[in-house]
Amino acid sequence: MEQPRHLRILRDIAAVFVTFVFMFPILWWALTSIKPISAVFDKDRVVFFDFVPTLINYAVTLFGLSRSGIAIDQGIGMGVGGAEAYDSRRAILDSVVVSIGATAVTMAVAVFAAYALSRMAFRGRAAYLNWVLGQRFMPPIAILIPLVTIYKDAGLRDNDSLYGGYLGLMMIYALMNLPIALLLMKSFFDDVPKDVDEAAMIDGATRWQSFSKVVLPMVRGGVAASAVLVFIFSWTEFLLSLFLTTSIRTVPVKIQTFVTSTGNEWGFIAALGTAAAIPSFIFILLVQRHLVRGLTLGSLKE
Amino acid sequence: MASVTLKNIFKKYGDIEVVHGVDLTIEDGSFVVLLGPSGCGKSTLLRMIAGLESVTSGDVEIAGKRVNDKHPKDRDIAMVFQNYALYAHMTVKDNMSFSLVLAKRPQLEIDEKTQWAAKILNLEPYLKRYPRELSGGQRQRVAMGRAIVRDPAVFLFDEPLSNLDAKLRVQMRTEIKDLHERLKTTTVYVTHDQIEAMTMADKIVILRDGIIEQMGTPLEVYDHPVNLFVAQFIGSPTMNMIKGIAEKTHVITADGVKLPLPKSHKAKAGQEVIYGIRPEDLDVGTGFPAKISVTEPTGPEIHIYADLGDDEICAIVRERQEFKRDSIVEFAPRLDKVHLFDAKTTMAIR
Repeated sequence: MEQPRHLRILRDIAAVFVTFVFMFPILWWALTSIKPISAVFDKDRVVFFDFVPTLINYAVTLFGLSRSGIAIDQGIGMGVGGAEAYDSRRAILDSVVVSIGATAVTMAVAVFAAYALSRMAFRGRAAYLNWVLGQRFMPPIAILIPLVTIYKDAGLRDNDSLYGGYLGLMMIYALMNLPIALLLMKSFFDDVPKDVDEAAMIDGATRWQSFSKVVLPMVRGGVAASAVLVFIFSWTEFLLSLFLTTSIRTVPVKIQTFVTSTGNEWGFIAALGTAAAIPSFIFILLVQRHLVRGLTLGSLKE
Repeated sequence: MASVTLKNIFKKYGDIEVVHGVDLTIEDGSFVVLLGPSGCGKSTLLRMIAGLESVTSGDVEIAGKRVNDKHPKDRDIAMVFQNYALYAHMTVKDNMSFSLVLAKRPQLEIDEKTQWAAKILNLEPYLKRYPRELSGGQRQRVAMGRAIVRDPAVFLFDEPLSNLDAKLRVQMRTEIKDLHERLKTTTVYVTHDQIEAMTMADKIVILRDGIIEQMGTPLEVYDHPVNLFVAQFIGSPTMNMIKGIAEKTHVITADGVKLPLPKSHKAKAGQEVIYGIRPEDLDVGTGFPAKISVTEPTGPEIHIYADLGDDEICAIVRERQEFKRDSIVEFAPRLDKVHLFDAKTTMAIR
């Protein structure tokens, strides 16, 4: 339906405005990450673009250089602190391991469960779906204290066993993300007409072959989109990681340590924050098409 | 190559019975069309032959063997679906060869058969393409190719042309018919389109509400419908149906109009009947009067719509003539083409 011209213009303005509101903090953050300290802490004015950009914050957080070391090398007197405590390479590795592990576990379960929910009739299917959705309503903080105790007893705390710690974090992330991944995957499976399964069956495929050779490859875009979403949720999770681990520090927890008793390292916080956002951006761009379709949960039929 | 026999087939979904005892024999090599309005059970019947639906009671036999409990892949059938059901992630070649690959046939045979099918269906230039890169008609042909590479005993078609535009539908109709002439494989074809049924079938089976109303060659069911439903379902524009009381030489309508009857008619005097005459068997001439309402020139012929009491009748004439709206014109039915139906039982009186 063609909208009147003034409505269209209004709509475009609104869209740009909303996008700007949402993008501004991220842009400001990215900008802060390349500012020298003098531009971050200018008490007379807000510095937008008139500063000399620096990569020192990235050098310290991502490459483990020391700020004072760089300052001495370059003969400028600015650098104090910024030593190993700000080296975030280990945190990034921890985040990668935990997020990829959690995504793999989640998707391995969700794909099969969603196929069954989409294709097979069994008693209590609708109730089960509602129950799964209900899991999403529960705030993680509600189960935090019992969870810490359980994890301690189960040996899934990292100060007892490092591998247990990784495993524990992956498991809880997988549990948190299973409902959304399951519902998303079900909507993707639902989009594949049942005729396709039947055609495969007539072509001589077993149930497993029709799943693995026909239906699953047809929803691979959906698998990618769901996996990205699960990855991002795991990548950005803070609360559970903070409480359940000590020596394992995922990126969000690591960033929080840059807020110290002697002052906040805004430059480092911004640099690590910006760097951490980049993979999410790239993944989202790659699967955007599938994600929008999937998030409407099957309401769009081709 | 095989015949298909349905013996006293019933189908229930829960408490709802949708097929009420169907007996049907489909001879080896014939092209049988299951025709009926939506919800008549034609697709359910086809899916029961395919093994995609279980049979509540009765027997499905293919090539003389009971297949009720056999898996679809063990029935030696191939099916073409309404929405093609192509494997979107596979090329045309892979789509067509999928069944042979699953059957672990030698690569040489797979290539040969795929090539052969592609040649028959003019798909050779498209073998490396994906379904999304094809037009509707080409996709339809891939779906058919997938069926023919297997050289099955029976082809099943479930409304295969209903997603195509009108022009392509006519073309594909001819292609499917031609394919059947060449391969002579037993074919069961489901459609709600009576033109498809008429043009393609060796035998038409007309279904309504889960029972067979009539079966016969296209011209048999067209010329000798056994009841009102069949008479109205087949033919376009539909047969004129006028209520009246039978007399010796005519039927009198409620308004006193006399509709002439052939001498040999079988209706009893005073019987309530429905007088049926197809539009092309109604000509302008001496017969009974009706008031012109609309004329529609289609090119080769003119469709004349006229009011006869409360009924609207249609006549098709081939001569170029002009008719004024509201003018009274006399229509002459071809007496040997008059159909009489009992108004109560709706069965043909013959």
